[in-house]
Amino acid sequence: MQYTILLIEDKTGLRDTLQSLLELHHYQVITAANGQEGIQLATAHLPNLVISDIYMPVLNGYQLLEAFQAHEKLRNIPVIILSARSAREEITLALEKGAAAYINKPFLFANLNANIRELLHTSGTATLNH
Amino acid sequence: MKQEEHTTVLSQDAVNLLNNASNIIAITSHEFKTPLTAISAAVELLAARLSNNQQMDAFYEKNLSRITTEIFRLNSMLDEMLTINSIMSGRMSLNKQLTDVVQLLSTLRANYFADPEDTRTFELSITGTPRDIYADQNQLTRIFMNLVGNAFKFSREKLPLVELNFETEKVIIRIIDDGIGIPAEDLQYLFQPFFRASNVDEIAGTGLGLSIVKTFVTEHNGTITVDSIVGEGSIFTLSFPYHADSR
Repeated sequence: MQYTILLIEDKTGLRDTLQSLLELHHYQVITAANGQEGIQLATAHLPNLVISDIYMPVLNGYQLLEAFQAHEKLRNIPVIILSARSAREEITLALEKGAAAYINKPFLFANLNANIRELLHTSGTATLNH
Repeated sequence: MKQEEHTTVLSQDAVNLLNNASNIIAITSHEFKTPLTAISAAVELLAARLSNNQQMDAFYEKNLSRITTEIFRLNSMLDEMLTINSIMSGRMSLNKQLTDVVQLLSTLRANYFADPEDTRTFELSITGTPRDIYADQNQLTRIFMNLVGNAFKFSREKLPLVELNFETEKVIIRIIDDGIGIPAEDLQYLFQPFFRASNVDEIAGTGLGLSIVKTFVTEHNGTITVDSIVGEGSIFTLSFPYHADSR
């Protein structure tokens, strides 16, 4: 059973490394460099889970969360936000806009993976890809 | 001779300059965190590949772990810089609410880790009838993380001990370690920004942590004192009032 994760991050180095780590843990990964690309890929592939940065060009993480909430098919896909900002206001805003989890950068992959597993287990949106 | 009083009034240009400097510190500190995350993830990817290919040995493991530890240490330093910057620029907001100190410390104990590989915890002792205090939970957590973190950093044989004593008007909290202690001549400077005790050269730190703790404690109408003997250990004593005036 393989889950599809959409990873949205504008920094190429971090995006590539996280993709490799996720693939090493047997997730199928598709990637986008900003929120707009992310929405296009999410609509086309309906991933089981999304991991997204907040501060990105073209369309940021908050706008992405709003777009997901407004879209019937994307609304129930859990979104994990990765951010360097740890201010209470930013975390609250992301959660209010529909984020399922908020993880501060830098983080240990084990922590991210624990959140992924829990959300995939509880979201009920998991689909069998293989 | 009459002593003249001098009042310093900053020009608008100077105020703008200070605000810009503060914004630059905040932005660059946050910007450092993304490359730190990329380095941390790359180290974890290397470790996973070495393990999967059965090439991981004690040398690789020790040094990869050391890189990860230093990444998180650098991140703690950035957080301290961001906090002190917020305090100095007057942008630190307080959100005081009734807080169960026992529960906060118990949660901290369950989740506590000084370093990613450190699985030690601390002992918790409670006397008196527990009562809530008005506190900003983020700031209270930072106070405990710093003081208990220091107790771990400097303790040697015993686990750090946190004692809570609920008195009539206030709660007294003592954080006790059996560490290297603080030289008597350093104690008076301990809560000043960038001061580091003369016997901690080998132990990482910015010298900002305790000045941040002192600021947060003062924001809560609390007090902090320290007793220490070199070679025997240190006791940091905090007190926080229960009454609503502290809101």
